[in-house]
Amino acid sequence: MHARADRQPQRRPRPARAAVAAALLLATACGHRAPPGAADLAAVPWDTVVARARGSTVTWRMWRGDPSVNAFVDGWVAPRLAATYGITLRAVEGQGPVMVNQLLVERDAGARGTTDLLWLNGETFHNLRRAGLLARHWAARLPAAIAVDSADPTLTSDFAQPTEGDESPWGRVQFALIFDTLRTPDPPRSVAELAAWIDRHPGRFTHDQGFTGTAFLKILLYALNGGPAPFAGGFDSTRYAAGAARVWAWLDRHREAFWRGGRTWPADVADLHRLFANGEVDFSMSFNQNEVVTKVRQGILPASARALLLRDGTIANAHFLGIPAGAPNPWGAMVVADFLLSPAAQFEKLRPEVWADGSVLAPGRLGPAWRARFDSLARVANALPADSLARYARPEVDPRYGERLAADWRVRIRERP
Amino acid sequence: MTRPAPLRALLLPLVVAAPVLAGLAYSLMAAFGLTGFGGGAPGPGRVARVLAEPAVHASVGWTLATALASTLLATGAAVATSVALRGRARLDRLGRTLATLPLPVPHLVAAATALLVLGQAGLLARLGAALGLVSGPADMPALVYDRAGIGLVLALAWKEFPYLALVASSVLATRGARLEEAARTLGATPAQAFRRVTWPVLRRGLAPAVVAVFAFVVGSWEAPRLLAPSAPLHLSLLTYERYTDPDLARRADAFVLAVVALALAGAAVALHEWAARRRDDLE
Repeated sequence: MHARADRQPQRRPRPARAAVAAALLLATACGHRAPPGAADLAAVPWDTVVARARGSTVTWRMWRGDPSVNAFVDGWVAPRLAATYGITLRAVEGQGPVMVNQLLVERDAGARGTTDLLWLNGETFHNLRRAGLLARHWAARLPAAIAVDSADPTLTSDFAQPTEGDESPWGRVQFALIFDTLRTPDPPRSVAELAAWIDRHPGRFTHDQGFTGTAFLKILLYALNGGPAPFAGGFDSTRYAAGAARVWAWLDRHREAFWRGGRTWPADVADLHRLFANGEVDFSMSFNQNEVVTKVRQGILPASARALLLRDGTIANAHFLGIPAGAPNPWGAMVVADFLLSPAAQFEKLRPEVWADGSVLAPGRLGPAWRARFDSLARVANALPADSLARYARPEVDPRYGERLAADWRVRIRERP
Repeated sequence: MTRPAPLRALLLPLVVAAPVLAGLAYSLMAAFGLTGFGGGAPGPGRVARVLAEPAVHASVGWTLATALASTLLATGAAVATSVALRGRARLDRLGRTLATLPLPVPHLVAAATALLVLGQAGLLARLGAALGLVSGPADMPALVYDRAGIGLVLALAWKEFPYLALVASSVLATRGARLEEAARTLGATPAQAFRRVTWPVLRRGLAPAVVAVFAFVVGSWEAPRLLAPSAPLHLSLLTYERYTDPDLARRADAFVLAVVALALAGAAVALHEWAARRRDDLE
């Protein structure tokens, strides 16, 4: 499809196209100048960037599904941006694939962009960059980027795609299972132990059909094929087929003992959390090892809930901020991205009572005062220790592995109950 | 013969229909790769591939079956209620009022309520546990996410019932009552009066509302999202899943499925129009 989009002229005078364009224009009518060229974003002096951002509005398209994240963005970030830069932050709903669709339709319609900043990673980043919808090479020039932990490959590569400064790191997370120490005092610690546990406790385990469930499938893919190494170096359909066959065999062997006999699956991880909290299953999972800490604080999960890393390895990745190529206000977006990278914003975000989302800064690159504050957060009683997180962390591979796993799971597992 | 409507009378219906017509045009163009993203070469390739998928067949079949079941259930209950409570006594009026209570409840709330009541850790299960009927969540028969769609059908029927009951009661009040009295005065037994007078009046008056309910239920998203199983997947959920597929090339599949859903609802309307015309011609 990208080849087609590239081949064709950007605007074709088609009635439907014109109608869509008109609708989008109506929806966004306000007087912005044409978006600046991508080269400008890296070249313009920072003082000029800040001056242009002053008094502007930044529309940030992001997943709005977690009240903790929303409270951080609306209640902590927005007022500080307003006070420091006079920037009005508008955080609006737009999860990965929906965001990609919106940007594609806007471009197809030749409409002015409606988005300045995106929260993204993985296949969203891959899809947007491949379609030429992202501003490029701007992230490294943010003043706050100096403290980014650039030694960590998860921050310089997103799902094995070198970011090349096309997105700015925002948070680091690691996949973990969630269990209840009262219900399951001796939980399984590896994929093999998990399989045995599932068989002994029929109906008490499942994964969801969303993005967290796909991450679990990727963890199975690694665990059953000796780690991520066979899948490194880009997508290879032969290696995928051989690796995925082991995942389907594993699921076929144990799905009878899954929740509801492996014939139906929770739609997303929020549904899985609910089943876990209701006592209908004994495990949930999260692509943030600290989610259990915040959810316990909020009373959504029982106080005895804890996170657990499988010894076969769990996926660690990062999430990022991007700027659409057609953003009406890339200057404001850069200032917001810079602010979100500041030690103050990264620290606030890491606090367990706020969001407990991992910092992307290297403690060694911070001043002693900030280092001490970050250190003080390192030990939260029910959080996983940093050394085990590092020991079991595994990198992401090419996003097409996850895409294929999700698509094939639907046909191979879900549609054959 | 009534005079034809002036052209300007069409203006408002046109404005109301415009978004749907534009959406249909865009969906058709996207389905055939003439616009939108993930197109590939323009042509019928995508439509043919989507319509040949077993998952799509299962989805359409399951969606139709549950929509039909919930529409019939709601219609049966509405007919029974409106007939039983068609009098002018206080109790009849109280009953008719009670029956309309779910009307203002949003569909999302109705579905969430069904989940809280019918789920395996829901109110019913807890009641069952308290009475010693079930020992744990897994013991409770699966009424949500179940392949039979029991929870979904019940929730949709509960939500659509008051609307149909309201229509049925007003049909009977405005057209049925006098005719029924006349038939009784002319010597018809209560059973004859019902069969020959009340039921035909009710059937004709209620049919458009039943078709509307069916069309709505086929396209509903909230209740299936909360209550339906993951296989077969309800058509609206399948449409959204394709629209947000990680693989960009599959996203335009959603437009094919949207047209399919519209065709199902349209077919119900057409069937009703055909039946009504045929009946009018016969009379």
